[in-house]
Order: sequence, then structure tokens, then C-alpha cells
Amino acid sequence: MFKATLLLCFSLGLYAQKPAALTLLESRCLSCHNAAGKQSGFDLSKRETALRGGDRGPGFLPGRAKESYLYQVLAHTAKPAMPKFGPKFTEAELALVAAWIDEGAPWETVVSAGPKRSSHWAFNKPVRPAAGSLDALFAKRSQTLASPEVLLRRLYLDLVGMPPSPEEMARHAKLSYEQTVDALLADPRYGERWGRHWMDIWRYSDWYGYRRANEVRNSHKHMWRWRDWIVESLNSGKPYDRMILEMLAGDEIAPEDPATLRATGFLARNYSRYDRDGWMQDAVDHTMLGFMGVTVKCARCHDHKYDPIAQEEYYRLRAVFEPYEVRMDRVPGETDVEKNALTRIFDAALDRPTYLLVRGNIQSPDKSNVLTPATPAALGPALGKIEPVALPLSSYYPDHREFVHTELLAQARAAIEKAAGDPLALAAAKAELPALEARIAAERAKYAVPADPKFEELAAKARELERQAGLLRAHEKLQRAQAEMTAALAGEKPDSKKVAEAQKNLAAATAALTQPATGYTPVGKEYPTKSTGRRTALAQWIASTDNPLTARVAVNHIWLRHFGTALVPTVFDFGKNGQKPVNQPLLDLLATEFMRSGWNMKALHRMILLSEAYRAVRPASRRLEAEVVRDSILAVAGELDRTMGGPDIDPAKGLEVRRRSLYFSHSPDVQMQFLQVFDGANPTECYERNESVVPQQALAMANSQLSQEMAAKLARRLEGPGFVDRAFQTVLGRLPAAAERELAAGATPVDLIHALFNHNDFVTTR
Amino acid sequence: MTTRRAFLSQLALGALLNGQVPRGRAKRVIWLFMVGGVSHMESFDPKPELNKYAGRLLDDTPHHAALENPLLKQNLREVIAGLHKARPRLYPLQTGFAKRGQSGIEVSDWFPHIGSCIDDIAVVRSVWTTDNNHGAQMQFHTGRHVLEGQFPTIGSWVHYGLGSLNENLPQFVVLGNPIDPCCGGPAAHGASYLGPEHGGVQLAVDPANPLPFAKPHVAMETAAQRRQFDLIHNFNKITAGQYPEDAGLQARIKSYELAFRMQTAVPEIMRLSAESAETQKLYGIDHATTKPFGETLLAARRMAESGVRFIQVFHGSDGGAGKWDGHSNLKKTHSELAGQVDLPIAGLLKDLKQRGLFDDTLVVFATEFGRTPGAEGTNGRDHHPYGFSVWLAGGGIKGGVVEGATDEIGFHAVENRHYVTDIHATVLHQLGIDARKLEVPGHKRIDLDYGEPIHRIIAKA
Repeated sequence: MFKATLLLCFSLGLYAQKPAALTLLESRCLSCHNAAGKQSGFDLSKRETALRGGDRGPGFLPGRAKESYLYQVLAHTAKPAMPKFGPKFTEAELALVAAWIDEGAPWETVVSAGPKRSSHWAFNKPVRPAAGSLDALFAKRSQTLASPEVLLRRLYLDLVGMPPSPEEMARHAKLSYEQTVDALLADPRYGERWGRHWMDIWRYSDWYGYRRANEVRNSHKHMWRWRDWIVESLNSGKPYDRMILEMLAGDEIAPEDPATLRATGFLARNYSRYDRDGWMQDAVDHTMLGFMGVTVKCARCHDHKYDPIAQEEYYRLRAVFEPYEVRMDRVPGETDVEKNALTRIFDAALDRPTYLLVRGNIQSPDKSNVLTPATPAALGPALGKIEPVALPLSSYYPDHREFVHTELLAQARAAIEKAAGDPLALAAAKAELPALEARIAAERAKYAVPADPKFEELAAKARELERQAGLLRAHEKLQRAQAEMTAALAGEKPDSKKVAEAQKNLAAATAALTQPATGYTPVGKEYPTKSTGRRTALAQWIASTDNPLTARVAVNHIWLRHFGTALVPTVFDFGKNGQKPVNQPLLDLLATEFMRSGWNMKALHRMILLSEAYRAVRPASRRLEAEVVRDSILAVAGELDRTMGGPDIDPAKGLEVRRRSLYFSHSPDVQMQFLQVFDGANPTECYERNESVVPQQALAMANSQLSQEMAAKLARRLEGPGFVDRAFQTVLGRLPAAAERELAAGATPVDLIHALFNHNDFVTTR
Repeated sequence: MTTRRAFLSQLALGALLNGQVPRGRAKRVIWLFMVGGVSHMESFDPKPELNKYAGRLLDDTPHHAALENPLLKQNLREVIAGLHKARPRLYPLQTGFAKRGQSGIEVSDWFPHIGSCIDDIAVVRSVWTTDNNHGAQMQFHTGRHVLEGQFPTIGSWVHYGLGSLNENLPQFVVLGNPIDPCCGGPAAHGASYLGPEHGGVQLAVDPANPLPFAKPHVAMETAAQRRQFDLIHNFNKITAGQYPEDAGLQARIKSYELAFRMQTAVPEIMRLSAESAETQKLYGIDHATTKPFGETLLAARRMAESGVRFIQVFHGSDGGAGKWDGHSNLKKTHSELAGQVDLPIAGLLKDLKQRGLFDDTLVVFATEFGRTPGAEGTNGRDHHPYGFSVWLAGGGIKGGVVEGATDEIGFHAVENRHYVTDIHATVLHQLGIDARKLEVPGHKRIDLDYGEPIHRIIAKA
């Protein structure tokens, strides 16, 4: 009823609004008096049940507030005094409730005119401040600029994630600050450093299992390709709006381009084998949190209490994602997708309906109403037109691609060689090759444009050859099963498990011999030939210059990582429950400039880095992220392996494999201990890193194999006259002060390097 | 500069404590968790009706209504639908039981030593949870179903909410093998969004190597290491002179001092040889069967004594769902496992009492779920989330009382039902923390099932 009203009224320029008194009651009473809990039998979630009341009688009498039991318990004129938890209602609140009951206790009121817009600052488009450079708006008291030495170290740690080597310091000494900024933004290490930041925000996680290896429960295999896409996209200067589009809808906008398809790891990451509902929730919640800083999850169970997001709007957002699933496409060089593949998303069920889940409960979908995709009205313009996408053959039938055929044939040939010496296996393998050739030929004919008239004939041939090969293979299996059975029964104590296994194989092989052939087996799986286009529409809506939030949220994340404090402190919540910006004109300047530049991240970095605000002296040091600490130790010791990209590495090999930290597996199950100690990213949600200072970090830096071995290596490398100066320069990027030089003179070389690794200034930036 | 951590503390702790240090009856918690699922009927909730109707189908007994109870559906949120069924053929008790102590509370014959302490214990016989698979292990610690994800655990909230009692030691410690990744893994003692500094620090009962990075990778004399730490300290002091306003630097200098002391203090705690032979015997350290868990609990007591706030002890982790998971051979496995823990746990309670620690140390004995009244296969019991037993002792909890009840066959919790967060709320209440007020920006500890303290088992102050 309410939903129908809402929809109808929109078209008339009217909308239904929840009365303030009801919102108040819900926020204070519903956690006990709901449909599931029903304390004293009273359920306030629906008008009928609220009117009916609970164990103690009717809830209220519309039009007669003072006689209503609900009002009396709130006013404390009847027992039990309510609410049981939390403060008594104020006089003003009581008056509001009384007025509402006197009006007849409507569950909604229709408000006229205008689209439902909010006056909340973040839900209105940013406007470029009339007066202002970044520095004018930053308006801190006169800024003293940091020394070139401090600045160079700051830039290196900030942009490439490791300190400058003495050689790099010498090179940059000859360049202007601006030239250094440009050089570092062009350095491929920039993509690795900032890639890790965006991996935090976009919840990068390698796959992890609920019950051991093969029962994938969350995320997916081969997620590293998405990580490489992130690094490469940042390095190539791909515009942010394009990145959003590729992550949400790469399969629709570039269905034949494996490089772009990698981006959809963003959504593949939400995969959950046993919990489709949770998967959908993550897709909705984190798309909105990551790109728009809006916490929609409250609206899963009820209308959002702070932000203008109705429960139904939550499920309309979900409808955008409802059709998608995850699959693994073959990649050249590996026919086994478990070992290596392109993990990507696609629309699998184009017509799968979305229902509102009453109180967020998966058991109670409201099937009276199939919800179409839409975006929350208060958060910007309406969602654009959804255009279904017709997919090319190589996309909906990826195993029909030339390289797959070639490699499968090569595999079949290799099987013949492998079977040499085993006559039955050899016969089967020899028959399988022509069968595969025939199946490929039939498939080619089937999909030829124009249609190939020889298809029927080729299909018949494929069927026959496949049947022959199948029989030979079944014979081979039968013989093997019989041999296994004989062996299993042979010993003094037959192994009952093996006997049962052999019996099963024997029965299967015998059955295979008599099975009639029905058609031939296609070479691979065929997927829907269309995609709904819903995600493309959503991506365009998010990555639009008309969206009030997207640019602001991104520039706020970038600012946070350059300065250590954000312009909107609640980086994940720009809604009414979040904190106000500490400097909205500055935020809006950055956001509007970002969009004006074509969502160019490097231009935004440049604007920030060239400001006096960035270059000023900083009184306090900021602890570096876990990955920077580990990478820096390896880098200054001259032991860092700079190989980029590729499959994730076992974190247990964190020492012998000296690759950058972002290349090691990272999931809720598996993390490198050294990184965990330094607040490594929480893979399920990390919009901002913790920067704790705890004794465990001191122990890791003082005692770990990593820091001790690297200290020894570096001490050997720097041996010789001028050791102390070079040690300070290499590890801390500066020369020692007199007092430090004196202190260093009394220490062995290894102890000195070790102490400098443990120095506050090595694990911090200032 | 405000770090996120500082920001969280100001906001949440400010709201939580109104600037006051919580004062509860209990100062610390020893949380014993049996991994795999202890049979409630063969431990703290004996059911003679099972013997009476042994081997009969439930439908064929006066208790058939258990299978028609709507709770059977309402209580359940399965990960893999249909994997664990309600077992209909009743399985008799695999051990005897007797009334114990002055209170006469019935405890099975597998737990005679704990039984001898029953007058100090409050048994809650009506606990329920919603996961009928081992994700319930994590659920018992976070209050959330595993499918909802990972959340801060009870220990991490206690760590977050209360100050330190001894800065030389971690305040939230994990002993024994933690839960396997199958069922929550490290997340079952993790801090999730509260940040890793509030997570449980796993310690080994091994004075030689009790904590990660506790010892220099290359062994060195203490004096040599002291020189290294002094060198670090002196360098940082020079820099601190240059940046007097740098709070992070001050914190780092302090953290190195703590680290050095922790390096000594943690191995010292694990030096059980410092305890008298009599005490060691009390924990069963003189017998091979009881030695491993006895040592763990003695280390737990030493920590409690030295000011560790929350000591989470696991028993029965086996690289899978847990040893207590008695799907088959229940009699053999449960009796052996009970033999490993019964005497040491009783020893812990007695030791706490004789040292005057019992009144402000809350001991919790828990497991993820009970086991089915019906048989699985010929000699086992399946997972059972509908009603099971947990007990609490010390820290201002009444002794010799039973809270709630299951029906006559131990199927459904029927009287004063308690979801797992009621146990959390009771523990938090005894520590002086209001369970409803634990939240940080963006996250409430629990959205709906906050849990209520079980006031009936709380002693009057």
C-alpha cells in the first residue's frame, strides 16, 4: 500500500513522507517492539499490529492520545514506564506523539511539490568557491616550508612508498620541487603505493575458504589480476570516472577485452558461496560506501534513520546487482581455470526478481512487488536509461575463442604421448583427439555467420567420434577399476575404503559403456547472450559530474592519505550521521577541480603536492603503513625485488621472497604477521588505516628476522670510511646531528643500522 | 593531530564511560572455550528421559512435540542447508550423573571435580544460538552469525572498554590453539573494526618463545639487547628534543620501554616452575593426561594475578572443527576430553579461591552448541543449537544455582532462554560495562540482540 503510494505520487510530483512522530517512535521503541522480538506481544512495525496492541491491551486509540496506552506509558502516567532503555521522552517529544495520535496516527503523510531533495550539504552538488586557491582556502597561520631534505623524503614515502636512496637524493637535488613531483608521479612505483590505498577502499581480498582450500566461501581465485589492473590504471593515468565504469560494468562496456574485464574484480570480490543475500548486501553497501560515502546498509531492515533513503530504495539499488555472478574465463597458456584464469563478473540471470525483504529478513520477501532498479532519489539525479547490451560470441561463449581450441587440441595430443606404453589408454587418447577436432568443427559451423549448412553433418560426425572415444575411455577405466579391485582384495586385510572406491569406479565405467549417445558435448559453457545494462547505468550515475558525492568522497580519501587527516573525518559517511567537513570550501574546490580536469588523479595529486599547505613543516610524525615499513627495510638494504604484478605470493615467504608487500596474499584468513602488527588493512572493510603505536611493533622491528638480517646486510654494504654519515643518509635520508654522531661512534655498524631501523623517523613521515 | 584510534577512543569511550573508569565486581575474565561442541546432556544438564526412551523414535515418545516446535525453524540459520538434521532416534546417556554439593545440582560423572565446585558455579542450561555448524564458534564470541561477517569479539570489547592493569603485559591474551580457519580462525579472538591493538595476543605456554617476535631472531645476551634498546632510546630522545610536540614519537619511546619489559614479563609469566609442587598438583600437572591443560590454566591464573584483563583459553582445537565434535564414538572421545579438563578447571577455581582472586575473577565455561538428544550413526551425537549449557563462576556470580532449563530430553531451551549475547552482557555487566552502550562511529556492537545481563545469577553486592 505504502509502496504503491510512493510510486504513484512520484509521477505527480508528490511524495509520501513518514510522520516525524513515527520516526521518533521507531528509533526509540522498535528495537524491542518489532515483528521478531514483540516484547509483551507489542509490534510497532506495522499500523495494524500497533493498533491491535500487545498483551496489555490496545496500543492506541486514533484521535484520542491522552486515553491511549502507548501515550500513557511514555508520559509515565501508566506502567510500565517506557522506554525501558534510554531517557524518558521530553515534553516536546510527548507533544509530537500526542498530536500525531490525535491526527489519527497516520503511517504516512503525502507531501506536495518538488522532488524529494535534502538540504544536507553532501547531497547537493559542490560549487567551486569563488575566491580561492587551495592555499587561500586552507588558511592556516603563516606556513614555514619544510627543508628540501624533509620534503624529498616526504614525497618519496607518500608517492612511491619507500625512502629515496642516496643516489636518488643526489639526482633530485639538481631538480626543482615541481620536477621531482612530476618524476615521482611518473614512477611506476606510484601505482603500487597508491594502488594499495585504493585496494583498502575497494576491499581487496584474495579468496578465502570456509572449510579448507576448495570450498571457496568469499572473494574468488585469481583476484590478483584486479590488483594489477588497479596498479596499471593508476600508473597510466586512467580517469577515475572511467575506473568506476570499468569496475562496475567492464563486462558490459568492453566484453571482449580481458584487460578491462579484470576491473570487475571489484564486484567478484563480494562472491560468497553459501550466502547470496550477504553477497548482494556487500555489493550494494560497499559500492555506496566506497564511491559515495553513504551508509545505505541501515535501509536493509527499515527506512534509514538519518539519511533520506527508504527501505524500498535500498532494494531497488540491489536490483542493479541482482543478475550478476562470477565466472572464470580461460587465459592463454593454462587450460585449468583453477590454476589460472580471468576472474570476472557477468549477468547470469537477467530476469531474477528483486523483492523487498521485510525487516531485512531473507525469509520474508514481499513477493507482491518486483522492484525495478533505481537509485535513491535524494542522492542525485535519477538513474539514466537502462539499455541492455548484446554481447559478442567470444564473450558469451569464451571457450569458442581460437586460443582455447588450439590449447585443448595441444592438450589432447600431449595426452597421446603420455599414454604411450599403456595400450588401452593410448587407444582412448588417440580417439579423443579426432573427437575433439570434430566437436570444434561442429561448434564452428553452429556459430558461423551466415549459418553453415554442413552443421548437421558435422554434428553427427562429432557425436559418433565422441561416442567411440568415450567407449574406449570407459573400457580403460573398467580395466583399471577391475585391477584396483583385485589389488584391494588381495592383501590379508582388504582396505575397505579402497574396495568401495574401486567398486564405485567399476559401476561407473560399466554404465558408461552402455550409455546411448545424445548429441556431442560442446567445447565449453555458453552464457547469456545479453547483459542487462543495469550496472553500466549505475556506474554512469555514480561517475557523473551531477553526482554530489562521488568526487568529494574521492578527493577526501586522497587528501587523507597525503595529510593524515581528512577534510570530512568520517570518510565512510558523508550522510547526516557523519561529521561535517572541517573545510567545505576546500573540499569543494578540490572536488570541482577534479571533475573539471576529467577526473585526473595525477593532476589532483599535483595540485595538492605543489601547495604550500602540503610543503609546510609538520610538527608531528605520522606512522607509515605496514607495507611501507616492510618495503622500506628491504629497499634501503638494497634487497627489494622490484618485479611488478603477477599471482599473489604466500605470506609465509615474506622474507625469502623480497617483493613489495602488496603482492602477498591478503585475506581475512591469511595475512603476513609482520604486516598485521603494523595495522595492515582489514580486508573486509578498511576505509581508513589505524595508526597505532604498540609494543608489539617495537618487538617486530627489534627482533624480527627481517629487520635483523637486513641490518646486517646493509651494515656490510656500507662498510668503510664515512660509515656513520652514509648509514644516516641511507636509512633516514639525512646526515646525523652532532649529538647523534657522537652516539653512533660508540655502536657497532650492525647495531647502528639496527637502531636506525628502529628510529621513530624510519617508521614515520613528517 | 588526531589519529583514527584517538578519535575512536574519544568518541566511544567518552560516551561509554562518561569519563569514569568502570567499576564492576569483576576485574578480569578467564574464558574457557571447548572447541567442537560439548554434549550438554552428558555434562551439566543430565536427562534421564533419554535412558528411559533410549533407541525410540521421538515420535514414539511423549516428547514428540520437540520436532513440531516452531523454534526448530526460527532458531536456525544454516550455512549449508540440510547438512545437520535433528536426529529423531533418542540416544541414551553415555555416563551416569549425580547430585553434587550442598546445592544438589546434577553433574555428569565425566566432570566429578568440577562437580565438587558446583556450589561456586551458576549453570545456565538454556543457552541457544542460530548456527548449527561450527561457525557457531565465532558466533559465540562476536554475537553474530558467521554469515554476517567478522566483528569484534567479546574479549576485544573488554580490552577496548577497560584500562590496563599491568602495562608490561598484553591485556587480552589467547592461550591454547585458537579456532581453526574453518570456523572463524583468528577472527574468533579478533577485534575487527576496533583495530588490531584490541585483538587477542596469542601466547604459547613456553617460557622460551611465548609471543611473536618475543626474542631476537639471532640469540643475544640480555645485556647486549639492553644496549641496543638504550641506543634506540637515546637516538629517539635526541629527535624528541627537536620535536617536543610530537605525541607519536613520545608514544613510540614509551612503546619500546614496554616492549623491553614485556620481553621479560611474558616469559616470566610462563615460568610455571616458580609454582609450588602442591599448586602444580592442584592443576594436574603431575599427570600426563591433565598436564597440558593444567599448565595452560596455571599460566592463565598467573596472568590473572598479574593483571591481564581477558584470558581466552581454547581446548580441543585440532586443525578442524574441534575434538569435542562428537559425531561418533562420543563415549570414548568425550570421556577422554573431560578427563583432560575436569581436574585442571576445578584446580583453577580452588586456586583462585585460596588466593583471594575468586571474587573479582569471572570464569566462564562455554562451547559453541550442545549435541543432539538423538543418535547420529550408532554412537554419536550431531550439532545442536537449540539448547545447551554454559556456566559462570566467580566475579560476583552466585554459586550453586541453575538458570533456565531445557525440555525433558534436552532438545529446546524452554525456560528463561538465553541467546549467547546474554552471556556477553552478564560478563560486561560484572566488569561494570553497559553492553548496550558499546559502539564506535559507524558500528554498533550488536544491532538487535544486545543481550541482557542474567540478573538471577548475579550475587547481591
